[in-house]
Amino acid sequence: MLSRQHMTIPIMLLFLAVLLCSFPRLTCAADQEIGDAYADILSDLEEETPAVRVADPLYYWNKGMYHVNDRLYFWLMKPVATGYKKVTPDPVRNSIKNFFSNLMAPVRFVNCILQGKSEKAGVELGRFMVNTTVGLGGFWSPADKEPSLRKVSGEDFGQTLAVYGVGNGFYLVWPVIGPSTLRDTAAMGFDNVIAPGPYLLSPMPYLDTEITSLSMWAVDKVNALSFRLGDYEALKGAAIEPYEAFRDAYIQNREKKIRE
Amino acid sequence: MKKAIIALITFLFSISNVYEIGRQPLDQVKIPIEKAIAVLKNPEYMGEEKKEMQRERIWEIVQEAFDFKLISIRAVARSWRNFDKKQKEEFVVQFTELLRNTYIDKLQGEFHDEEVLFLGQDMISEDKAVVKSKILRGNVEIPMDYSMHFHDNKWWIYDVNIEGVSLVKNYRNQFKSILAKESPDQLILRLKEKNEKHERDRTLTQEK
Repeated sequence: MLSRQHMTIPIMLLFLAVLLCSFPRLTCAADQEIGDAYADILSDLEEETPAVRVADPLYYWNKGMYHVNDRLYFWLMKPVATGYKKVTPDPVRNSIKNFFSNLMAPVRFVNCILQGKSEKAGVELGRFMVNTTVGLGGFWSPADKEPSLRKVSGEDFGQTLAVYGVGNGFYLVWPVIGPSTLRDTAAMGFDNVIAPGPYLLSPMPYLDTEITSLSMWAVDKVNALSFRLGDYEALKGAAIEPYEAFRDAYIQNREKKIRE
Repeated sequence: MKKAIIALITFLFSISNVYEIGRQPLDQVKIPIEKAIAVLKNPEYMGEEKKEMQRERIWEIVQEAFDFKLISIRAVARSWRNFDKKQKEEFVVQFTELLRNTYIDKLQGEFHDEEVLFLGQDMISEDKAVVKSKILRGNVEIPMDYSMHFHDNKWWIYDVNIEGVSLVKNYRNQFKSILAKESPDQLILRLKEKNEKHERDRTLTQEK
């Protein structure tokens, strides 16, 4: 049997604990100097998973290509996309965006299957069927109105390889195409083989298919850029070392896509 | 006696609960962001001569939500220990200025009625949380997550993640490659020069 005195001590302790919890500031009020109040953050950082680093053995080539692409953006891509945006009504730009997105649906579907993501594959297939038929060849996206067919994050073969355990290899910047890695470059070839679009839907089959697919690719790129004008400048403007900033942004963005 | 203590404890618990409900991480992002958007849309600030006032007003709101000291420390990461007290202080000042310059100017220059949708919050631990949001620009969706840390009785933003790219990790990478070759003072000088150049360009465009 506990006496009344014995009972009061745990209750007092509990009381004290509650008090301390309600005023967390009391416990660390003494830390004033910069850094000290944040001392635990540094030890926190040690535990944090390190940012993905990528090997860059072709640093000089890559940096050269970064500068080429930078000039290409300001001298060619940006003026073209800005002019295009001015003369093209928003609904048209949206339709073109939908069309190209729909065109690539088979590629995303195959990659969902290869990664064993059956639910996502089902959504991609459903969207493709609805948008190609009701959406008149993919220019409209009626699937967006169906909650079960909401857009899912796209899969490509680079992500499939990553899921299979293939690493980035090393960082590789291509002229025009931009940042990539050894793995993602190799994977682009695979995706292009299963991409049916430019070949099947070429409006003028007598034209060289390469020219057709190249011009379609250009329309796709310019149209896509017309939605994202200013983003490149913002990231570049915020950076101290732009080349490193873009390299890291590419890798981090790919990591997210691989996780999804 | 016992009853009184239990009643007191229950009372204290209920206070601390109310205390916390008022300080959900989601609110600590949502309220300032909505305030800032309201300032951006406010026709009062339309004239060129009002831009500076608008900038100051947004900055006040931003400072209530972002913990720039924490952002600075996390961006420098391990090398922070190699900074002396003065360098630490100077770095925080310059890096904060850089973030303020680039992001507020971008907002002021290019805000076109984007909509921000708040999707919810994930509690990572007692003092860490992630608030998820989406920016709607026409029919383009940009996912944007805020990492939050609870200290000094409040949730503070210490990182922003846009399409998987963490702002802090992006700078960490840049600072790491700079600090591999240069001293903390040189890094601070670089930030300072960038800020001064920005300030010159900004006043030039205002005079135009």
